[in-house]
Amino acid sequence: MPAMLSTQPHGLPHPHMQTEQGPQQRQFNPYTENGGTILAIAGKDFSVIAGDTRQSEGYSIQTRYAPKVFRLTDRAVLAVNGFAADGNMFVKKVRQRLEWYRHAHAKDMPLRAIARLIQTMLYARRFFPYYVYNILGGIEEDGSGAVYSFDPVGSYEREACRAAGAAQSLVQPFLDNQIYFKNQTPAPGTSHPTHLPLPTVLKLVIDSFTGATERHIEVGDGLEIYVVLAKGASTQALEGIRGIQETTVTNDGERVFIIQRELKKD
Amino acid sequence: MFVTRSEYDRGVNTFSPEGRLFQVEYAIEAIKLGSTTVGVSTPHGVVLAIEKRVQSPLLESSSIEKIMEIDRHLGCAMSGLVADARTMIDHARVTAQNHAFTYDENIKVESVTQAVCDLALRFGESVHDEEAMMSRPFGVALLIAGIDEKGPQLYHTDPSGTFMRYDAKAIGSGSEAAQSELQDKWHSQMTLQEAQVLTLRVLKQVMEEKLDHHNVQVAQVTPEKGFEILNETQLKDVIETM
Repeated sequence: MPAMLSTQPHGLPHPHMQTEQGPQQRQFNPYTENGGTILAIAGKDFSVIAGDTRQSEGYSIQTRYAPKVFRLTDRAVLAVNGFAADGNMFVKKVRQRLEWYRHAHAKDMPLRAIARLIQTMLYARRFFPYYVYNILGGIEEDGSGAVYSFDPVGSYEREACRAAGAAQSLVQPFLDNQIYFKNQTPAPGTSHPTHLPLPTVLKLVIDSFTGATERHIEVGDGLEIYVVLAKGASTQALEGIRGIQETTVTNDGERVFIIQRELKKD
Repeated sequence: MFVTRSEYDRGVNTFSPEGRLFQVEYAIEAIKLGSTTVGVSTPHGVVLAIEKRVQSPLLESSSIEKIMEIDRHLGCAMSGLVADARTMIDHARVTAQNHAFTYDENIKVESVTQAVCDLALRFGESVHDEEAMMSRPFGVALLIAGIDEKGPQLYHTDPSGTFMRYDAKAIGSGSEAAQSELQDKWHSQMTLQEAQVLTLRVLKQVMEEKLDHHNVQVAQVTPEKGFEILNETQLKDVIETM
């Protein structure tokens, strides 16, 4: 629970001088940090969005299963990290806006439009922000995989990969090295690939989270990996994967899968 | 004829016992007094054409503005009380800009048409204690042309707030003759040039004056260049090929 009002006495009050108290400072402190980590990686015709399921405050775990990754449409998945209450409310409001849009314009909102909508929603709260870092993953209108990352007041950018949350400082350098091939020199006569295949990406995601679980106390318990496939993309890479479930709603369009895994609970 | 209408054609929001809103019906009549306006949709874009009634030789014909841009991908032609259309087009422009601002995409032609029609029925409505912003129905009909992910489209709106999509539509004083001509000549595989010529031929038939580049205006919305009003040379070319 965030402390809504906290009192900080200015020095200890003298026992015999009850009437002559020192100045008191009060402050409104509506935010807390609930740990956990999220990440997303875009491929040529797919996008992978993942997050752990631990929710903690300080040294105590509030729950081992609080999802941070949400399917918005059949081509958009949103991961939200930071203050859990704000995150859940924000996802609820985004979903409401998506439904209104569907009623007004008779179509699902495209990914790029969702990204802009999230910016306007976050910036609308510029002076009492949602304390959340958002990562939006999915498929663009042109069929390419995409990842958009946001700061709490709506600054956003399309990227190939992004990690956020408690273990961002552990995971992002790993992704920079493995996805963008930073600090790697290609062998003479070869070049680094621009897009990685889905099986490689899934391995990187799982390794990122097992690594973060080892080294960060706020990461662990469970892992949820969403995979969004472009229309007509091969499902071959997903066949035989343990704990995979399809959550697609519409037919013959993009497809959404969720992979659930355990992480260490200590 | 007007005996049955007495009493019930006063209030804008009062139904007659036969279930009619006379003020709205009169507004629709007002459009039939306006100059003729034609729109034609093709697979390559939409063409709008209007007749400019130049009442005096001293009138500067370029000051007659009956075709307006709503957004880069949306255009609009009008017939009826042109002053009323300004309010509606203002609303359409704001709606289109707000959509682009919030969603980083062009608004659909149908959505902007719907937004205009929402406004059309807001007459007689007041916001809490403020004065009603409009006390009568709009006396204008619009042809809204545009291109979105569903391709080129043409919509017609009237003062009752209904809108319909057309392949080709004529409104205004000469609309009856013009519409039947469109029905004869329109086909689904028209080129843009054919559509330009068709709109002018239709206008020529219903115009009293001899058609020239002073008394007509042609605009189009294409996937390549968006909304554009044809300039004098382009217009002269079309009139010549006609």
